[in-house]
Amino acid sequence: MADRNLGELLSADRVLLGRSAADREDAVRQVGEVLVTSGAVSAGYVDSMVQRDGDVSTFVGEGVAIPHGTLAGRDLVLQDALCVVQFPGGVDWHGDEAVLCIGIAALGDGHVPILARLAELLMEPDRAAALRSAATVDDVLELLAPEETPRPEEQSA
Amino acid sequence: MPSIDASEVRKVVIACDAGMGSSVMLASTVRKQLKDSPITVEHTPVDHIPDDADIVICHAGLAERARAVVPGRVVVPFQLFIGDPAVTKVVAALRSGGTIDG
Repeated sequence: MADRNLGELLSADRVLLGRSAADREDAVRQVGEVLVTSGAVSAGYVDSMVQRDGDVSTFVGEGVAIPHGTLAGRDLVLQDALCVVQFPGGVDWHGDEAVLCIGIAALGDGHVPILARLAELLMEPDRAAALRSAATVDDVLELLAPEETPRPEEQSA
Repeated sequence: MPSIDASEVRKVVIACDAGMGSSVMLASTVRKQLKDSPITVEHTPVDHIPDDADIVICHAGLAERARAVVPGRVVVPFQLFIGDPAVTKVVAALRSGGTIDG
């Protein structure tokens, strides 16, 4: 995984493809459970993710939402981690349609390069479509890997 | 409504509730767009906006909280993470000069 610069943040076991969700809250809870199962957060973090997304939508465009906890929920993060859950059937997200969720648990800024990569990718419609419709876990990891090893100032920014 | 001339801006802060998701993504985009300027771009939780922030950019749903944290400062609300006209306008002013209201 080191060659992809994803480090410990996003591992193959935290990428789930072809899932379905009854509604937005169900989707957020499924995303949260991946983080709980992998030991990145305490179970209570999932409620804080549901609350955060209820307060202000975490939909970021191009069919992607980035559910994460509230500031208070940050105390329930055990280690920085990301996860990806794909819902090919789409989930109504405050009026938008999300087909891919990137769950975030972060105490520090180690995940910043990956989210920066996501932001770039979402501005390129072809690549955004490739991410939404990714057929393999490897495709997802490849698309989200930052191109360069993060520089120290970006990690501490 | 507070306003600031682009030439006086040293620090732009992108704020969201927890400072771990949406603000991170938008900050990375804005930082890239301003990489040739001396302006610092940071992302923080809305309750921890630093006092030396010249401009605060945050989701429309958090704008009132941001204004309470740094009263009198320019707060620019946005709705869209990609291509929001409000953010585009701020970046354009920071790059080529102008007044930013918020």
